[in-house]
Amino acid sequence: MAPWLASGFIYASALALTAGGITLLYMSTRTFNFAHASMATCGFYVVYTGCALYGGAPYRYLPLAFLFGALLGVICYFGLNRHLLRRGAAEITLMMSTLGYDLILLSVIQMYCDYLTFGLRLYPRRVSMSVYDFELFGTKAASIILPLIAIVFITALHLFLVKTKFGVAMRATIENPVLAGASGINSDRVYMTSWIIGGGMASLGGAAMAMAMTGTPVMGMTTIPFMFAGAILGGLHSLYGGILGGFVVGMAEYAGVFALSKQFGPWVLGYRMGIPLLLMVFIMLVFPRGLAGIPWAALFGRLTGKKRGVSA
Amino acid sequence: MLTVKNLNAGYGKLQVLYDVSIEVPGKGITVVVGPNGAGKTTLLCSIMGIANVFSGEVLFEGAPITGQLSYMLAKKGISYVPQMGNVFAELTVMDNLQMAGYLMARDEVKHKAEQMTEMFPVLKKFIDRKAVTLSGGERRMLAVAMGLMKNPKLMLLDELSTDLAPIIAERVMLEVARLRDELGITILFVEQMAKRALEIGDTAYLLVSGGLKFAGKACDLLHEPELAGLYLGIKQAPAGGPVQIIPSSEGSG
Repeated sequence: MAPWLASGFIYASALALTAGGITLLYMSTRTFNFAHASMATCGFYVVYTGCALYGGAPYRYLPLAFLFGALLGVICYFGLNRHLLRRGAAEITLMMSTLGYDLILLSVIQMYCDYLTFGLRLYPRRVSMSVYDFELFGTKAASIILPLIAIVFITALHLFLVKTKFGVAMRATIENPVLAGASGINSDRVYMTSWIIGGGMASLGGAAMAMAMTGTPVMGMTTIPFMFAGAILGGLHSLYGGILGGFVVGMAEYAGVFALSKQFGPWVLGYRMGIPLLLMVFIMLVFPRGLAGIPWAALFGRLTGKKRGVSA
Repeated sequence: MLTVKNLNAGYGKLQVLYDVSIEVPGKGITVVVGPNGAGKTTLLCSIMGIANVFSGEVLFEGAPITGQLSYMLAKKGISYVPQMGNVFAELTVMDNLQMAGYLMARDEVKHKAEQMTEMFPVLKKFIDRKAVTLSGGERRMLAVAMGLMKNPKLMLLDELSTDLAPIIAERVMLEVARLRDELGITILFVEQMAKRALEIGDTAYLLVSGGLKFAGKACDLLHEPELAGLYLGIKQAPAGGPVQIIPSSEGSG
């Protein structure tokens, strides 16, 4: 597999997870979570610490990264979000509160890096996680394993939301909290679970992202616009839309830039970060409700020549 | 069964209800009627812990429930069917029934869902369809079925006849009366189809601008020419019988 494609798959899988987490949190708690940035960075440092201190492949530390992100999510919910939700805080207040939480986490990450540097004699401020990776079928193992992990995780999440009683209750609460409460569903538990899953997805995504780029304490800060871009591209009201949006934005950054640089020359590489955002703007202009708002079944029917009575 | 004492409530800083007191006796239908904006829905929302209660008290079976979260009230046996958004549109009919029976055991939910589809056969036909695809009348049926799923002691029904064709609305009214007569459920019924609601109701309250104007028997309000004519648009010859007229409150919500 070409290196750009391998990195593209890793990065896109990571963005799919993080954008999915942002969408889930927005749908359930109306909170546009800025702390996703530092939660992602924390996921990377959990995996880095494991690899640097105990050795082994990074993948074995991914469950730990998920759990750590889930813990950060729970702290955010009980420390901030829950109180603001109960007071009927506006979306902007909810969003800005997570920005504050993000800055606190960023400070803690910096202190932790100082500890790793001066206490354990490590070099945590510019890390290439690919040195801990191995080859699989002649390519980076991460380019195969991480997309697979993302697919398995998303499938498990889908089954949880569709097949389990609590998963359906989560969907019910997201759609109509008043009726869900009157039905006996404790919305507190639903929101906490959203933060567990959303925080876990952020850290898992951050840990995966570090396999395609240099890991730094501000890694989450530099990639948060793309996480949000993925969530917005997905339409913000569909978990699956957010996941797809994250994947499209991630692939656009790698595959799009590669294709354009072949066509127009290497100067395009300088605009690498602008290309996925331009793509997002273009898609949103044509489909204002994002990828989830596109009538896929009708489009597919038109392409295959089949007539369908209703659009998706 | 349910007592509301001197309730002052609203949303945020906006007060809607002024010193409202009502008594809902067990195994009967208590009807709350009044013009638009009178605060009927706010009364139910205050009982369910959705609106803000500024002062006053709500008692259920003698125990205070003021300001308790709605899922706690559902556990106590209070069922609420809101006027709008009373089904989960993106879930299937079956999922809606299962969510309504969220606090019940799996076998009990299955059994009760079968009962509901027998009571409302139209739901059986669309059991795997998303609720968003149902007509207005079918959605109301589903909403009532959801309210009944958990064998409630008390049902709060908000404007069941909204958006319904007259023939369907009449069927829903008969269904409400049947819930009392056959299942012995206590019902607090907020309704704009005042005449029909008062005909099936036992006790009635007239709510105007956030304050009570009448408390007494439903048939008495129905035959009270001044109030029924002025606020409910019911024109009938006055009939005898005691009527309790409550002095106008100072509220204007």
